Amino acid sequence: MTTPAIRIQGLTKDFSVGMRGLKLRAVDGLNLEVGDNEILGLLGPNGSGKSTTIKIILGLLQASVGECQIYGKPSHTVDARRSVGFLPEAPYFYRYLSGRELIRFYARVCGVPRSQIKEQVDSVIELVGMTEATHRRVGTYSKGMLQRIGLAQALVHDPQLVILDEPTAGVDPLGSAAIAEIIRELKRRGKTILLSSHLLAQIEGLCDRVAILHRGKLVREGRVDDLVQDQHTESLVVEGLSPAGRAAVEQAITAEGGRLCRVEKPRLSLDALFLKEVQQQEAVRSDSTDTVEQGGKHD
Amino acid sequence: MIDSINRLRFIAGNTFLEAVRQKFFNSLLLISIALLASSTFFQQFDFGTNELKFITDFGFGALFFFGSILSVTATTQLFFNEIENRTALTMLAKPIHKLEFLAGKFFGAHMLMLCFTAVITLVLAGMLYWRETELMARLGDAFIDGRLVNYSDIFVFGLLQWMKFGVLTAITLFIASFSNTNLYTIVVSFFVLIICQLQYIARDAYSTMEAGIGRWLVQFLGLIFPNFQLFNIGDQLVFNVKAPIPAVTILQIVGYGLIYTVVFVLLAHVNFRRREI
Repeated sequence: MTTPAIRIQGLTKDFSVGMRGLKLRAVDGLNLEVGDNEILGLLGPNGSGKSTTIKIILGLLQASVGECQIYGKPSHTVDARRSVGFLPEAPYFYRYLSGRELIRFYARVCGVPRSQIKEQVDSVIELVGMTEATHRRVGTYSKGMLQRIGLAQALVHDPQLVILDEPTAGVDPLGSAAIAEIIRELKRRGKTILLSSHLLAQIEGLCDRVAILHRGKLVREGRVDDLVQDQHTESLVVEGLSPAGRAAVEQAITAEGGRLCRVEKPRLSLDALFLKEVQQQEAVRSDSTDTVEQGGKHD
Repeated sequence: MIDSINRLRFIAGNTFLEAVRQKFFNSLLLISIALLASSTFFQQFDFGTNELKFITDFGFGALFFFGSILSVTATTQLFFNEIENRTALTMLAKPIHKLEFLAGKFFGAHMLMLCFTAVITLVLAGMLYWRETELMARLGDAFIDGRLVNYSDIFVFGLLQWMKFGVLTAITLFIASFSNTNLYTIVVSFFVLIICQLQYIARDAYSTMEAGIGRWLVQFLGLIFPNFQLFNIGDQLVFNVKAPIPAVTILQIVGYGLIYTVVFVLLAHVNFRRREI
């Protein structure tokens, strides 16, 4: 049996509030496991304990009760964090450094051997698609670029576990789709990803499993398909069916003891529609640019 | 161990880079140099060889005054920038110890103070040399035994001031470790600086007190706050060519500063370890 990437057992975190030391419970008896090479989505409304859980996993906060392990090592130890990369929500970085200097700095802090630094830095910068902007100061980056460079710093020491806190917050749909693609690529490379997000559509499309927190408690956990599928109904998506054919299908359903609940046109999500349209426009623009360039060369 | 030193070095280097790119440091350095340069106007009063003493006192005063301001404000800003911009969150999620982070911040700020102290002492030594050479040509009799100023000891004094700024940086870091705001840290640090400067008064007081709780208390307070007057031996160093201060005494003062620095950085770590980022 392989060691889970994250194992949380009976985790409770209380914060003292005010002079009288009243306790505010942010996480309440949480039990959770994240398997190796799995993408787990941590969902929950604001104040549900997602960020507190992530901070405890990263050793930034101490648990009041319970324990948390990363690949079998207590999460508060420095040794456990060697295999973890973290992208915080709305990340800020040293504004006076260029993108490349920043990634290089984090690589050195994480102990990447000197002989591998250049290769590692180039590799993660390429992965997040920031090659064109690495010479610019971080202070000049847009929100989407900050998220991408944040991802690069989280990956520069090649961690096995990547924790992403709202990686697409404030990013436009195109940037968001690009980040989602990077996450899929990380999964293909064998990484484990813990993802906290409010964008449920994105979580649904990305994650193998989700865990839903509410007021610090785990209220639901399981495979995305198992949780969102209605186990009692099935849908048939058909194309080119004549009215007579449709009547025959309805008759057959009734004859077999079923009941036709509704007939509807399959819908494209607004996200998917937006991406499709923009990508088509980009493709047309790129084709026309190529034609002009080729025409220019012929001239 | 080597890994730990390397991480500390990288954090200190980055902190130093951040500090020198701040306008505040450059402005303060320029003001200090300008003030030091303005001390040459003393020549209009024709103090004779006493002019050298004036220039030295003026330079040492500028070093202490602006150095203290820079030490407290730069350390506070470098620490709270990390907390407020949440860069500390990204940094502490890396495989580094909180002590390495804190010590890195300390060394970064301390390197900044080394630059400041080195520039001011260099300018001061240059100005003194220039004025002394002019005075030697004009008042030859007063310089029968050679130069009055012991130039190498200006840098020894610079070293002692740098050690003192190290203690002040560590104290500021300690206050910042439990404080929630910039302003609180700066105000309290300056109060502590004044206490440390005037601490010798308490020492004088308890030496004449009768044994008892009162004396014990004053003695205890005298131990908590370092005595900054110990570092102020500029006159004995620079103008006492015939009876120089023994090297052992200098080393003892350096050791005294080091002990307080290490203790305050460790105390800052105790607070910072429990701090929720």
